[in-house]
Amino acid sequence: MSYQKKNKRTISEKKAAVLRAGVTVLLGLAVLTAAEYWISFLETPNIALFIIALFKAGLILQTFMHINGLWASEEDHE
Amino acid sequence: MSAAATAAAERQLYRNKWGLWLFFFSESFLFAGLLVSRFYLWGNTRPDLDQILGLTVTSILLLSSFFVNRGEMLMKFGDRRGMMNNFLIAAFLGLLFLVGVIGFEWRGHILPTDGAYGAVLYGMTGMHALHVLSGIIFLLIAWNNARKGCYAPESLWGVQACALWWHYVDLVWVFFYPALYLMGNVVP
Repeated sequence: MSYQKKNKRTISEKKAAVLRAGVTVLLGLAVLTAAEYWISFLETPNIALFIIALFKAGLILQTFMHINGLWASEEDHE
Repeated sequence: MSAAATAAAERQLYRNKWGLWLFFFSESFLFAGLLVSRFYLWGNTRPDLDQILGLTVTSILLLSSFFVNRGEMLMKFGDRRGMMNNFLIAAFLGLLFLVGVIGFEWRGHILPTDGAYGAVLYGMTGMHALHVLSGIIFLLIAWNNARKGCYAPESLWGVQACALWWHYVDLVWVFFYPALYLMGNVVP
């Protein structure tokens, strides 16, 4: 297989993996939202809902907002 | 572009990112203040809000974040058309969110003059809706810039900043939704 073909396939595989990760996060957020909706009907303390919200926030910060990328040192950008 | 120019551009990008995150940090005090006022004034109670509407607008906003992320990732791989389509879908979903909150929730039985319940409900949803509106405008600006060919996989700060802003607005709603709709006992 030529280098160009192999490189093209690697890029499309990477792209598919990144897009798949987005779908997984969306499913995770949907499940957590459904869970908090359901939990709200039970007599559970507010802290349970707050913890679920924290998990959702963590998912968004980590995968959608790429917060980890912030901690790369400035030297990495030079 | 020379190596020195590339390094300077990357340093600038790094600082832009930090600048935006510091802005998020300062904004979080505003939203945290609103949340604190909700718990101080409402305590362990809440008004009787439309649960289905709350769940629907929340789902719409989460879905819009997914499309923004998808658009950003597609642009990273050079798919400009894909990015534009996804940003447009997200802007439409943002508009639906506003219709849900302003067009339906605000026309419910609670008025801004209804004491602490009205003040907190309209204060929180109003401030958040204003941010959603700014996000929609930002998405449309990024869409228009992409249409003109302003972005490329190696220079997409405009797309990234727009996506970050939209996700931040979503992040705020992640805490507002349970605080407004789910926590506490319903007061008739």
